[in-house]
Amino acid sequence: MFQLKRTLLTAVLTFSLAAAASAQTQTLDGVKSMPRSGISPIYSGNEVKGYILYARADKADRKNDNYHLDFFDQDLNKVSNITIQKPSGRYTLLQNSFNGTAFGLYFCNFKEGTLEIETYDTSLKKLGTKVIEDLSKGDKMMINQMVRSDGNTENTMGGLTLTPIADKGFVRNSYDGLMKGYALQMYDNNLNPKWRLTSDPKSKYYESFVIREVTDKYLVGTVLRRDGLMSKKFNSYMVAIDVNTGKKVMEAPVETSKTEQLSLSSFSFDVEKREFVAVGEYYKLDDKPFVNKSQGLYIKRFTEAGKLLGAKPYSWQKEVKAALPAEAKASMEDGFVNFTHSIVKGADGTMYIVAEQYKVVADGLGIAALALGGKASPTNGQIGNMLIFVLNPDYSLSTVKFYAKDRSKAMLPPGVGMMGAGLIGQVIKSQGDFDYQFLQRNSSNSLFNVVYINYDKEKGEATKKIVGNIAFGANGQFTLDKIDGTSTATNSFVYPAKPGYVMMVDYLKKQNQLGMKLVKLNI
Amino acid sequence: MIRVLIGVLWLCLQAGTAAAQQTTYTPYYSADTTQAYQLAVAHRTAIQAHLGAAKTGNSEYREHYKRIVRETSSEVYNAIRHSALLDAELNAMVQRVFRQIQQANPQVASARLVLTRNPQANAYAVGNGTVILNVGLLPGLENESQLAFVLCHELAHIQCRHMETSIQERLTTLHSREMRRQVRRIIQAEYNINSRMKDLVMGLSLDGSYHQRRHERQADSLGYVLLKRTTYEAPQAYRALELLDHIDEPVVKEPLELGRYFSCAEFPKTFEAAPARPQSIFTVKTPEKTVLQTTDTLKSHPDCAKRMRYLRELTAGQIAEGTQPVTPEFARLRSISRLEVVQSWFDTDCYDHALFDALQQLRSDPQNAYLRSMVLLSLYELQHYQLDHRFTEVVSNMSEHNPANFNQLLTVLYGLRTTEYKQLSACFAQLAPAPADDEFTLAARYAAAMLAADQPQATALRQQYQARFRAGRFTTLLFPAPAATGRKTR
Repeated sequence: MFQLKRTLLTAVLTFSLAAAASAQTQTLDGVKSMPRSGISPIYSGNEVKGYILYARADKADRKNDNYHLDFFDQDLNKVSNITIQKPSGRYTLLQNSFNGTAFGLYFCNFKEGTLEIETYDTSLKKLGTKVIEDLSKGDKMMINQMVRSDGNTENTMGGLTLTPIADKGFVRNSYDGLMKGYALQMYDNNLNPKWRLTSDPKSKYYESFVIREVTDKYLVGTVLRRDGLMSKKFNSYMVAIDVNTGKKVMEAPVETSKTEQLSLSSFSFDVEKREFVAVGEYYKLDDKPFVNKSQGLYIKRFTEAGKLLGAKPYSWQKEVKAALPAEAKASMEDGFVNFTHSIVKGADGTMYIVAEQYKVVADGLGIAALALGGKASPTNGQIGNMLIFVLNPDYSLSTVKFYAKDRSKAMLPPGVGMMGAGLIGQVIKSQGDFDYQFLQRNSSNSLFNVVYINYDKEKGEATKKIVGNIAFGANGQFTLDKIDGTSTATNSFVYPAKPGYVMMVDYLKKQNQLGMKLVKLNI
Repeated sequence: MIRVLIGVLWLCLQAGTAAAQQTTYTPYYSADTTQAYQLAVAHRTAIQAHLGAAKTGNSEYREHYKRIVRETSSEVYNAIRHSALLDAELNAMVQRVFRQIQQANPQVASARLVLTRNPQANAYAVGNGTVILNVGLLPGLENESQLAFVLCHELAHIQCRHMETSIQERLTTLHSREMRRQVRRIIQAEYNINSRMKDLVMGLSLDGSYHQRRHERQADSLGYVLLKRTTYEAPQAYRALELLDHIDEPVVKEPLELGRYFSCAEFPKTFEAAPARPQSIFTVKTPEKTVLQTTDTLKSHPDCAKRMRYLRELTAGQIAEGTQPVTPEFARLRSISRLEVVQSWFDTDCYDHALFDALQQLRSDPQNAYLRSMVLLSLYELQHYQLDHRFTEVVSNMSEHNPANFNQLLTVLYGLRTTEYKQLSACFAQLAPAPADDEFTLAARYAAAMLAADQPQATALRQQYQARFRAGRFTTLLFPAPAATGRKTR
C-alpha cells in the first residue's frame, strides 16, 4: 500500500497537515474486492483526464443494488459520484468514453441480457439512455470474453466498443450473428441514432471491424475478412468512413503480392499529408497472416482516394537485423519473434513501432504431466525483451531500440504450442501475459511512453516487480525509467495517467483498502 | 574609573550578544529528548487521570469512553513527545504571556501551555488543563494581547469543561436507545443502508457541530472576560478574530521571484513561461447545500465574521480594527516563529511548503543563512523523492484553494526534471555565498554538492558534518543507516 513512509513525528503532524498538503493520492476504505476493471481511465483525445471507479454498494430493493460511479480528475481529486440502481450483482461497466462534451458509459445488464449506454454531460447531468436488446451471439461471446479477462486484454478482433466522436457523439461497434458481420451505429450525445453502417448480410465472408482512429473527418478502421468462423486465413481491408454521414469513402484490400502475404496491424490517416498509412507484417506466401511467423514489417501509403503511393518492407533478417544492437541480435538468434503492440506516429512524422519478443519453449513438467495422462501443456510461452523500431518521416528505418528485461513465462493452453507463431502471440496477448501494459501519448503527439511490468510470474506479484517506462518523442531522446513496483498488496495494477505520470494502484484485501497514487516519471 | 569602563565594556558586550541573538536564531533542536518525553508522559498521565473512567452508561458506552481517553491522551502525548518546542526564546515568550493570564485569573483551573512545532495556525485545549499552541499561529498575530486572547479562549474551554461535556453529550446520543433503534431499523430494512446511515451520521454531525459552536461562543465570551482582567488590551480580541479570518493567506501575495533565485547565465530558465495547469474536463459545481448544510454550519467553529459580530456586541464596540502596530519584541517573535514554521514543514516532509515559506521570507531577509540553507535542503529532498518516484507524496496538489503564488511554485516543481535540480542549486548559490558555518549551512553545502554530483566534495562535507554534529538534526535524514531506516543510502 502506498502509505507514506514517514517518521513518527511526521505521522503525528500529518494528521493535522493532511488538508494542507494533499498529495496526488487517494486511499479508499471499505473496498471488498478490486478487479482491474474496477477503475477505468477517462481519455480526452490521447490524454488521460480522469478516472471512473465503479463499485457495487448496497441493496437498493429486492431486485436491485446501488452501484456507485466515482469520478476523479487527472490529479486524483474526487469530482463527484453517481449512484445508479440496477439488477443485483449483475450489472457491469464495460467501457467509458469521453468525446469532449459528453461521457458515454457502456454497461452490460446480465440479468436482462442487454447492453445499456448512458450519456452524461461534463457536469455529470444525464443526457440519454439507450437499452440495446436482442444481442447477437457474437456480442454475447465477446461480453463473456471481456468479463472473464477483466479488462486485461486488448480487443484485437474488433467487436464491442463505444468510440467517442469528438463533440458529435459515439459509435457503437457490434457483431451480427455469430461474428458473421459487423454493425456500426452512430449516436449523438443524447443517444439519438444518427447513422448506421453494416457489413453486407449477403456476403459469404465473416467480417469484423476494428476502429483504429477517428480524425477530423474520418472514422478509420480495418476489416478482417475470412471464409468461416474457425478459418485461420484472414484478409485485411482498409476502410475509412465519413463520420458525419456514415458513408464509406475508402475500402481497399491490403494487396497480397506474388511473393508474400500481408496482415494489417495499424491503419491511420495522416492529417498533415492527407494520406492513409497502413502498417503490418508480411508472411511467406504459403503461410497464414497472424498465424505463422512473420517475415518482417511493411508500410503502405495511400491517397484519400485509395491510390497506392508507396510500399516499403523491412525484413526481420535483413533491414531490421542490420539495425539491431548486438544483444538484440542474440535474442533473435535464440528463436524469439516479435509481437507488435502499438504503432504511433509523432507530430514530426517519426513513426514508432513497439514490439515485444516471445517464443515457445518446451516445458519439462508439462511433458511429464502429459505423459502421465494429465492435461498440462508440453509447451509454454516465454516473454523476452522490448523493442522499438523508429522510422524516419520518409519511412526509412532509423534505429531499433532494445530494452532487455528478465524473461517471464506465459502458460499456454494444451495444443496451442502446435499453432503458428503469430497465433501463439495472439493467445499470449489475449491472456494478458505480455509484460507490455499500455502506451501513453500527449495531446500533441510529441511525447510517448511505453509502460511494461516485469516480474517472475511463476512466483507471483509479491516478488520483485519492476514497472518500466520507455519514453521517447520529439526531442529524439529515449529514456528508460524503472519504478520499483514491489509491493505486499493483494493486487497491484498500473494504469495510464496524465502525461509524464502513471497511476499505481494497490489493493489490500485484509484491510479492505484501495490505494491510488500518481507517480511522476523521470523521463 | 576603571570600574566604570569595565561596566561600560560589559554593557557593550551584553548589547553585542543581544544583537547577535537577534540575527542568529535557528530553529529549536535537541538531540536529548528526555525533557520532551517527560513532559509528554506527564500530560498523558494527567489527561488519563482527569478523564478517568466513565461512571455511567452501558458497557459499550464505557468501552467507547475508554477508547476516547486512550486516543486523546495518545494524541497529546505524540504531539508533545515529537514536536514540543522547548527553546529558550520562543517558548519563554509565550509562557510569559500565559503566566500573566493565569496570574490575573487565579480562579481559573490550573493549566499548562505547550508550544508545538506544528505549522498549522491552531490552538486547542484538553479538559485536564493542557493547552496546545501551534507555532504556526504566531506569525499571523500582531501583538501579545491578540495571543493572550487566543490563550484566554482556550482556558475558557477548560474552565467551562467543554471537552467533558462534548464527550458526554456525544456518547449519550450515540449509545442511546433511540440511536440503537434507528441503527437497527436501518439494518433491518436491508435496503439503501449506506445512504440511510449517511443521513444518520450527517444528523449526528450537525448536532455535534451545533453544540461545539455553542461552546465556541461561550469560549469567546469567557475568554474576553479573562482577557479584560489582564493588563493586555481587551479590544485586541476583535482584531485577533479579524486576523484569524485570513490566517491561511501567505505573507506576500505577489508571485515568487523564481527567476531571480534559480535562473542564471549557465541556466537561463524562464519560470514565468511554465505551462498552465491542464484544465479539468469536468464542470461539476459544488452540490447545492440545504440551509442546515451551509459551509458555516458544518464547521466546529462559527465563521470568524459571526464571531466578530458577537464580540462587537459583547464589547459594546470597544474593539481594535485594522492593522495594529507591532512592537520590536513581538516582531522578533513573529520572525523566529516563521523560521520554526519553515523547519516544521521540512521535518514533516512537506518540502514544497518549506521551500515556499523560505522563498517568501528571503524576499525581506535575503541574507538569512538559515533560509538559504533550507532552500537548498528542500531542493535536495525534492530531487531525492523525484528520483525515488515518490514525488507526489511530498508535493501538494495544485488547487484553487491554494494561494496563487504557491500554485506558481507547484507548477514549476511538477515540471522539473531530476537533472535540473543541479542547475537550480548552482544558480541559487551564485546569488550570494553562504558565509555562515553552522549546522544548517554545512548540511546545505552537502546537499548542494550532492545535487552537483560532486562526490568527493560531498564525502568531505559529510565527514565534516558528522565530526562536528555527532547527533545533528540532519544526521538521520541525510546519512541514514540503510538497514535501520529502510531509506536508500545516498
